[in-house]
Amino acid sequence: MTQIESPKVVKKKLFSPIWLLPIVALALGAWLGIKSIKESGVEIQIHFPSATGIDVGKTLVKYQGLTVGKVKDIGIDEDLKGVNVKVMMDYRAKPFLNKETLFWLVTPKASITGVEGLDALFSGNYIAIQPGKGNASTFFEAERQPPPMQIGSEGVMVELTSDKLGSLDVGSPIFFRQIPVGSVVSYRLDGNQRVIISAFIQEQYARLVKKNSHFWNVSGVKIDASLTGVKVSSESLASILAGGVSFSSDDNADIAKNGDVFSLYDSETTALGGIEINLTMADANGVDKGTRIVYRGINIGSILSKQLTSNGVTAVAKFEPQYGALLTNDGVFWLEGADISLSGIKNPERLLTGSVINFLPGINTKTAVPSSFALQSKAPDLLQSKKRFLTLTSAENMGISAGAEVRFKQIPIGSVLAVKLTKDLSAVEYQLELQPEFAGLIRSDSYFVPESALTVNASLDGVSVKARDFTTLTQGAVSLIQGHSGTPLAANSALTLFSSVDTATTFYDRQQQVHLTLISQDGADVSQGSPIYYKKMQIGTVDSVNWQSKTEDFAIKLAIDKQFQPLLKKPHVFWRNSAVDISASLAGIDVTVAPLQGALKGSISLGLLDSSDKASNAANLKLYESKQLALTQAQAIRLTLPASSKLTAKAAIRYQGHQVGEVSQVKLNADLNTLTATAYLYGEYAEHFSRSDCEYHLVDAQISLAGIKAPDTLLTGPYIGVLPGISSQTATQFIANLAASSYANVAEDALKFTLEDNNLGSMKVGTPIFFRGIKVGQIDGYSLSTQGNSVLMQAHIEPQYSHLVNQSSQFWDASGIKVDVGLFSGAQIEAGSLETLLAGGINVATKDTTQEGNRLAAGTVLRLQHKAENEWQEWAPAQ
Amino acid sequence: MKQQGKDIGLCLCKVCRQLNSSDLTHCQRCEAELHVRDYSSLQKSWALLITAAILLVPANIYPITMLTNQGQVRHDTIFSGILHLVHSDMLPIAIIVFTASILVPWIKIIGLSIYLCAISFDIPISKKKLMVGFHIIEWIGRWSMLDLFVISITVALVNMGQLLDAKPAPAATAFALVILLTQLAAKVLDTRLLWDRLEPQDDTN
Repeated sequence: MTQIESPKVVKKKLFSPIWLLPIVALALGAWLGIKSIKESGVEIQIHFPSATGIDVGKTLVKYQGLTVGKVKDIGIDEDLKGVNVKVMMDYRAKPFLNKETLFWLVTPKASITGVEGLDALFSGNYIAIQPGKGNASTFFEAERQPPPMQIGSEGVMVELTSDKLGSLDVGSPIFFRQIPVGSVVSYRLDGNQRVIISAFIQEQYARLVKKNSHFWNVSGVKIDASLTGVKVSSESLASILAGGVSFSSDDNADIAKNGDVFSLYDSETTALGGIEINLTMADANGVDKGTRIVYRGINIGSILSKQLTSNGVTAVAKFEPQYGALLTNDGVFWLEGADISLSGIKNPERLLTGSVINFLPGINTKTAVPSSFALQSKAPDLLQSKKRFLTLTSAENMGISAGAEVRFKQIPIGSVLAVKLTKDLSAVEYQLELQPEFAGLIRSDSYFVPESALTVNASLDGVSVKARDFTTLTQGAVSLIQGHSGTPLAANSALTLFSSVDTATTFYDRQQQVHLTLISQDGADVSQGSPIYYKKMQIGTVDSVNWQSKTEDFAIKLAIDKQFQPLLKKPHVFWRNSAVDISASLAGIDVTVAPLQGALKGSISLGLLDSSDKASNAANLKLYESKQLALTQAQAIRLTLPASSKLTAKAAIRYQGHQVGEVSQVKLNADLNTLTATAYLYGEYAEHFSRSDCEYHLVDAQISLAGIKAPDTLLTGPYIGVLPGISSQTATQFIANLAASSYANVAEDALKFTLEDNNLGSMKVGTPIFFRGIKVGQIDGYSLSTQGNSVLMQAHIEPQYSHLVNQSSQFWDASGIKVDVGLFSGAQIEAGSLETLLAGGINVATKDTTQEGNRLAAGTVLRLQHKAENEWQEWAPAQ
Repeated sequence: MKQQGKDIGLCLCKVCRQLNSSDLTHCQRCEAELHVRDYSSLQKSWALLITAAILLVPANIYPITMLTNQGQVRHDTIFSGILHLVHSDMLPIAIIVFTASILVPWIKIIGLSIYLCAISFDIPISKKKLMVGFHIIEWIGRWSMLDLFVISITVALVNMGQLLDAKPAPAATAFALVILLTQLAAKVLDTRLLWDRLEPQDDTN
């Protein structure tokens, strides 16, 4: 039986989920593949000098203990100088494989301080890598020595530089306060001068290493033997055996970083002596290695070394760090040893221990401390700036040596620093310093005198002996004489050292004198030292008498004491004093005897002039012959006279009868024809009578009908008349005539004119001119005209009448008696006065009123009429 | 002519081997789902086989063990381990390991792929050969776990820190997966499909 099977519908699965599996596997495989390609290592080559300790497939490359690569192969390089080690590096090490990356072989090392590279003992040697900078590289040269530091190590790696390694070795401990805090990890030479030691400080102590830390060698045992005892110090047993390094730490400084470089000092002292300076000196006497630097007796440093330089010696000095702040720009160093002197021994211990270098800190903290200081030879003076420095000059050294005391009232106020010759070698110069408190004693007129150790004063009153102390004897001393001036001494000015107070007084008196130079015709009998008197009181002396070749006279230099200076401000004159001055006159005889000193040496007197006298001249520096001449300020002139003149000395020079001068000396000249008279014009008149056109003439008694002229000359002898000139030029040489010129005695403003006649007739000098019978003038002189055809008579009209005469005036001769006898007119007798009868006369009549136009000019020549017209008598113009 | 179960309406339960009528959808005894022929098993087997083949690549390329000897780390792939054994003059062991770790997986994969190809593409291969091969694959497959066994024991036993330490490397996982997947591929295949195909040829012989 066939059953109809119901159709079974099976839903066909297109894609079974099982197919996800291969897809996942594929993805996984692909991912793994990509990852492996990505993480495949980098093959590099490292060139080693030898393959000792390197195994293929075994030797690893480690960085800080982490394996980053493995040696794949070792091959000998082309030139057989080493091996090329192929290393497969981890892909993660790829960034480190740069040009400066370092590789070196680490092998286990055992030393006294421990075993290093212990891991290498089990795992075998390994190649250490220190990543560096630069471009990526695959070929490297292996380092022979481990590089000094391995950045990234816990702790801090610092480099110490030193001259020599000493007993340090890899592993030598680094101590801080005797606690081991690190170790020396490597050392290497830097060039051929220095050793660079790499020191590693453990992390927990790393902060102790500061930027300004000092490292010093503590290797071995340090024995310090000095006068104070023996000190043995050592850090630890390990440091005795293996050496060690200790260091200092400053709380405030910054913490040192990896790779910081420090100096490794030989000892703690040198290391901690923070500041090293150079001291320069001319020679190193007394300065030695170890010479102490002392401030207020405390050691603050020492000399480390000294060496010869081109200009002296340079010593390296070390300042201990705690005193470093004392060192300033203006600090001073000086060498001080034991000082043995008369006053005692200073610092006797230094005789044993040697000199020390003293230090005085400065105050200038602003500027940087220089690296070099000069070593002074002696202590600086603390009061230097306040001290007063003086320079004394003296003509010669008076036994004063450097170090001598400067005293005031026998109390020391300073000392002499130096005695030397001045630059021009003309004098001795003393450098003085005064204690500040005494600086005010110095005045502008202060001076110094040397102290003599022994002064013996013997006089009629007795003998006094003064002795000073011992130092005065050995070194001398100077005393300050203060002076009276209120003004302090100007800076840079020098004072003088006098040999004694007297010399000084004289010097200053002289300095204060007023100096004058007188001009004299002759030496005036004075010499240097001759006194100068004022009212018989000496007011000065003559300084010098010099002949001056140019002017052929003498310059007498006077020195007038200061207190008499006011005298010189008034008008004054000088005259010479004769030893005995006898002036005899009708009034009596006056004998003046000069003071004895003046009589011996000759002397000069000063006299004051009437101050109201205008003619007086303050600058009158003439030396007069006599008091009289002087007081009148006479001016010398020289007259030349004919030999026949009977002129004698003391004859007067007169003008209009007034004496204006005096002849002082008359001398017959060598030619025997002339006389030379030296004369003086009184000062007030001199101006008028020293003009070049002045007329000098001899006045002698003249006896004539008209009377006796100058009758006084009968007694006194002739004198000299003078007429003033008008020229602006002055002269001192004149020629005197025997007779006066016509107008000698005529007033200046008189109307002067000339009358002309054929014959002189009875006219003579003095013939009067009448106007209406009043004498208005006279004839002053007459002469022949140059042609000889007429006589010219010089006449004048007195000034008060001059207006009566003008061009319309007529002059006629009125001399004698005019007898006019006529048949019809009878006899007419005309006669003037008796005087005209005797001496002749001239009448004058004027027709017109005198006006500006018809004024008679001086010197006009008028005709002298012989007879008067009748109408002339009628003329009577109102004048 | 031999009669096939499906021809007479019988179907074997794959779980409890109960013969059931083909009409039934579930086994009379164990209530498991019944399939006259499971055609989808062919796909599953293919997928597993391909996965195994893929995983065979990393299993051979990557190190299978990581040996730390005195701080020195050594990675060994399957092949380098065998070479190491050869170098260590342990040839017999090397042969065993070679067979177990390399030969067996490869044979399994190749053998399975031949079967699957034969089923999928009707490749005429004699029934006898196929049967022999199938038996071998079935039998040998389990031995390929030997390698993993050695590794797991070594890892468990050798653990002395830096001095000596062994650890499985990434390839071990891949290798274990290869073995597992090939086993599964063989297991999941409904072998009846093969017999179906083989019968007619057999008849012709």
